[in-house]
Amino acid sequence: MGKRRQTFSVALLVTFLTIGLVLPLQAEARNIKVGIIDCYSGPAAVFGNDALNGFKLALEEINKEGVLGSKIEFTTRDTKFKVDIGLNMAKELVMRENVDVLAGSINSGVALAVSDAVAKKEKVPFIVWISKSEKITGEKGHRYVFSTADNTAMGGKAGAVGLAKKPYLKYWIAGDDYSYGHDIGNAVWRNLKALKPEVEKIGESWWKVGEPDLVPYFTSIIGAKPDAVIFCTGGASMANCLKAIKSTGMNEKMGTWIHTAIDHAVLKPLGAEAPEGVLGEIQYLFYYPDTPENKAFVKAFEAAYGNPPGFPAFDAYLAAHYIAEAFRKAGAIDREKFVDALEGLKVKSPVGGMVEMRACDHQAMFPMYFGVTKKTPQYDFVTASDIKTLTGEEILPTCEEIAEARKK
Amino acid sequence: MLPDLSALGSQFLVGLSRAMILFIVTSGLSFVLGVLRVPNVAHGSLYMIGAFSAFSISKLLGGGSLGFWLALILSPFVVALVSLVSERLLFCHLYQREHLMLLLFTFALMLILGDLVKLTWGAEYRSIMAPDFFKGSVSVFGWSIPRYNLFLLILGPLVAIALWLFTNKTKIGKIARAAAVDMEMVGAVGINVSWVFAFAFVLGCFLAGLGGALVAPTVSVTLGMDHDIIIEAFLIVTIGGLGNMWGAMVGSLIFGLTQSFGVLFWPQFAIVFPYTAVVIVLLWRPRGMLKSVW
Amino acid sequence: MSMKSRFKSLVPYGVILVVLLFLPPIIPRFYTYIFTSIFVTALLAMSLNMVVGHGGLFQFHHAAFYGVGAYTFGLILTKTSLPIWVGFIAGPVVAAIVGLLIGWFCVRLTRLYFGMLQISLGSLIWAIAFRWYSLTGGDDGLHGVPIPDFISSSTSAYYFILILLTICLVIMYAILRSPFGMTLQAIRDNPERCEAVGINVRRHQLLGIVIATFFAGVAGVLFVVLEHSVFPDLLFWVLSLEIFIMCLLGGWFTFAGPILGAAITVSLRTFVGIYTEYWTLILGIILILLIFFLPEGVMGFITEKFSGRAKKVYEEG
Repeated sequence: MGKRRQTFSVALLVTFLTIGLVLPLQAEARNIKVGIIDCYSGPAAVFGNDALNGFKLALEEINKEGVLGSKIEFTTRDTKFKVDIGLNMAKELVMRENVDVLAGSINSGVALAVSDAVAKKEKVPFIVWISKSEKITGEKGHRYVFSTADNTAMGGKAGAVGLAKKPYLKYWIAGDDYSYGHDIGNAVWRNLKALKPEVEKIGESWWKVGEPDLVPYFTSIIGAKPDAVIFCTGGASMANCLKAIKSTGMNEKMGTWIHTAIDHAVLKPLGAEAPEGVLGEIQYLFYYPDTPENKAFVKAFEAAYGNPPGFPAFDAYLAAHYIAEAFRKAGAIDREKFVDALEGLKVKSPVGGMVEMRACDHQAMFPMYFGVTKKTPQYDFVTASDIKTLTGEEILPTCEEIAEARKK
Repeated sequence: MLPDLSALGSQFLVGLSRAMILFIVTSGLSFVLGVLRVPNVAHGSLYMIGAFSAFSISKLLGGGSLGFWLALILSPFVVALVSLVSERLLFCHLYQREHLMLLLFTFALMLILGDLVKLTWGAEYRSIMAPDFFKGSVSVFGWSIPRYNLFLLILGPLVAIALWLFTNKTKIGKIARAAAVDMEMVGAVGINVSWVFAFAFVLGCFLAGLGGALVAPTVSVTLGMDHDIIIEAFLIVTIGGLGNMWGAMVGSLIFGLTQSFGVLFWPQFAIVFPYTAVVIVLLWRPRGMLKSVW
Repeated sequence: MSMKSRFKSLVPYGVILVVLLFLPPIIPRFYTYIFTSIFVTALLAMSLNMVVGHGGLFQFHHAAFYGVGAYTFGLILTKTSLPIWVGFIAGPVVAAIVGLLIGWFCVRLTRLYFGMLQISLGSLIWAIAFRWYSLTGGDDGLHGVPIPDFISSSTSAYYFILILLTICLVIMYAILRSPFGMTLQAIRDNPERCEAVGINVRRHQLLGIVIATFFAGVAGVLFVVLEHSVFPDLLFWVLSLEIFIMCLLGGWFTFAGPILGAAITVSLRTFVGIYTEYWTLILGIILILLIFFLPEGVMGFITEKFSGRAKKVYEEG
C-alpha cells in the first residue's frame, strides 16, 4: 500500500473530525441548556413536533422572566425512531454540547437506553416525555430520570377503572405485537381483574405494528363474540385500528377500548369517519376541561403553530416548567441540586391546578380523562364525551409497588 | 378453539383480498426484477408516494366519490412520472454497470424519496376515505366480507389479466419479456434496450403506485409505509420465483392466506405463519415456487 | 512479496495505530466515543468486505450476524450469571453458527438468489428478536447490560476495542493473504475456472462466510461493550445496506477501504445529524454521487490517482 495513500486517508479522517471540533460551540454566556432527543422523521414525527411546540411555547413564557438571571435555551436531535442514533445523539448532547438537562423522546427503547447509558452513567437529569413504558420510572427508574408522560401502568389502571363500571364480562385482547402493546394490555387486564374478578379473557390476537390490513383479525374477533375488545395500540397503528373498527362495524356490535382512543392527533385526520362509541383515556384534551387556563393555552398554541395542542405538547410544557422551577428552587445551575429540587416539586398545569413530580419514582402526577368517542355538530371530527376525570393518585402505582419493581 | 365455517370463509375471502393488494404491488417489483435483473429497493417508496398522492388528489377534489376514483386513476400516473424522471435522469446511465450498482442506486433512491415525501407532505398522519358505496359488509356464499375488500378481490385478477395481456399480446410487452430472457438478443435486433428498461421500470412503479392508492383507504397514510411493505414484497417475490408474474400471484396468495388463517388459529403468534411459510418454501424450493425468468 | 516491501506497506498502519493510541488524553471525551464507535463499525464493515469485496458474494443481510453476536452477548450477561469471557466467546461463535446455517442454504444459489434468500432468513431472525418480548425485550431491547468497570469508561472502552480491532484486522489480513484467501478471490473472479481446476467452490465460500460472520459477531459484542444496550435495529436490513455503502464508499477491492468508509459514514452521520433531520436524504445523495463518480470508493480513487509506481510495487512485491 502506498504511503501517500495512507497519509491521505488519515488526513481525510482527521479533517472530518476537525470540522466537528471547529464548529462553533455555544456562546459562553451561561444560559441553561436543554438537549432534546426526539423523533422528527417517520410516523412518530407528528408527536415529536407537537412536544417540541409545547416546549417552545412554555419557554416563551419562562424566558420573559428568566431563570437565575439567564434564559433557557434548547437544541434538538432527531433520533429517527432508532435506538442507536438516539444513544449517539444523547451522548453528543452531553459530552459535546454540554447540556445541563436532557429531554425527550417518543421511543421507549431510546428513553430506556439513554436513561441507563447516559442519564445514570453521566449523572445528567433526563426528563422523559411521550414514552409510555412503565419501566422508565418503574423498575428501571433511578435518581436522574423523570417522566412527565403517562405510562402504561397509569393508562392500564385508568382504563380498568373505566371499564369496570361497564357491564362487560367477556373480553378479547388484541393489539400491536411489541412492548407497548403487551405492556398496556397486561396493565389494563391485571387492574381490571383486580377490580372485577368475574371478567374473563376469551382470546388474544396480536399483529405486527403498523399492520395495514386488520380486517382478517377483526372478522375473526367479531366471530368469537366477546362483550368488549381491549385494543393495545397507539399512534399510526391506532388509526388503522379505528378505521377497521368502523369498516367492520365492530363498535356497533360490542364495546371497544383503546388507551388514548380520544387522542385528537389520531381522530382528526379520520374526520367525521372515525368510529363512535370507542372508550379511551388521555391526559390532555384541548376542549376539556373548559377552564380559562386551558382556553388561554390552546389560544396561544394555535396562534403560534396553527393547530390545537395534543398530549405531547402537554407533557413537554410541563417538562419545561419543571426545569425552570427546579433550577429556580435550586438556586444554581447544578445538576445535583436540580434533581433534589425537582423531587416533590409542583408546577402549574396548562389546564389549571398544580401537578406534582412525585418524589418516590420521579413521575409527574396528573389526572386522566376517560371518555367515549362521539360525533358532535361543533367539530367536523370526532371528540370525547361523557368524560370522567381520574386523579393522579387514583391511577399511579403506589410507591410500594414501585419500590418492589425496582428491587428486582 | 375451532372456528365455525362462516368465520373460516370470511377469513379466506379477506385473506384473498389482502393477497390482491400484495399481488398488485409485487407484480410490479417482479416485472422490474425480470427485465432489469435488479430488485428495486425503492419500490416501497413509490407505493408510499402512491398513497400520499391519492390523499392529496382526493383532498384537492373535495373528498367524496369523485375525488376517490380520480385519485385512484391519477395516483399511479403521478408515481409513474416520478419514476420516469428518476430513470431518465439518473438510472439509465447505470445500465452498463454491474447489478450491484443498480441495486445500490435503488437503495439511494429509497433514502431520497423517503425524505422528499417528508418534505412535501410533512409528518402528520393522513387519511383517505373510501366512498360511501363501500361502507359495510356484503355476504358472499354466506360469508361476510367488507365491501371494499370485495372490490379488491375483483380488481386483483383484473389487473393480473390486464398485465398478462399487456406482456403477451402487445408488441411492447413482448419486447419487454424478451429482454428479460435475453437482453443482448433484443439489442441485436435493433431495439433500443434502454427504452425497454425505462418502460419496464415505469410500469413496475406504476403498479406500486396503484397498490399504494388502493390500500390508502384502509390504513393511515404515514411515513414509514415504504419500510413496511418492502420486506414483505421482497419475500413474496423470492418465494414466487424472481421475475415471474404468476409467481408474484402465488407468493402473494401464500402470504395473504397464511396470515389470515394464522389469525384465526393462533392469533397470538399469527405473524409467525407467513414467515414460516416463506422459510418452508425456500427450503423446499430455494429458487421460488415457479420458474424464474432467468 | 518480499519481506522488505511487506514491512514497508504495513508501516503506515503502524503509524496510524500509534497516533490512535495517544489520542484519548488529548481529545474531548465525545470524540473518544465517536472513535470507538468507528472502530466497532469498521470491524463490521471489514467483516462484510471479506465476503463481498474479496469473495464476490451478495451478502445482503450481514447485519443479522452482527445482531446475533450482540444479542447472544447481551443475553448471557443479563439473563445468566455466567462470567463475561463466556459471553465474549459465545457471541462470535453463535454468530458464526448462524452464519454457517444460513450460509449453507445460500451458497447453493448464486448472486441475486443468494442475496434475496439471505434477506428473507435474516428478516426472520429480526422478526423473532422483535417479537419475543420476554426473551429479548422485544422492540425495547436490553438495556443496562452489566459491563465490568475495567472496560466501562470512555477511555478504557476505547483502548479495549482498539486492541481487539487491531487483532482482528491482523487475523483478517493473514487470512486474505493465505492460500485460502487467494482462492476465495480467485473464486470471486472466475468461479467456473476454479471449479474446473478442482476447487470446491461452495465449501470455500461457506468457510469464507463463517469467518466473516464470526468477525461480525465480534463486532456485535464490542458494540454492546460500548453502548451497554442491544436492540432489534442491529438486525435490521437497512443497516445491512448501510454497511454495504461503507464498503463501497471506502473501496471494496482494497483491504482497508471499508475502515475508511465506516469512519466517514459514522462521522458524517453524527455531525450532519446535528444540523439537519434530513440525514437520510444526504446519505442518499452521497450514495448516488459515489455510484456515478467514485465507484471504486475513496480508497480506490486514491489508488488510481497515486497508483502508477505504488501499485506496481505492490503487485510485484
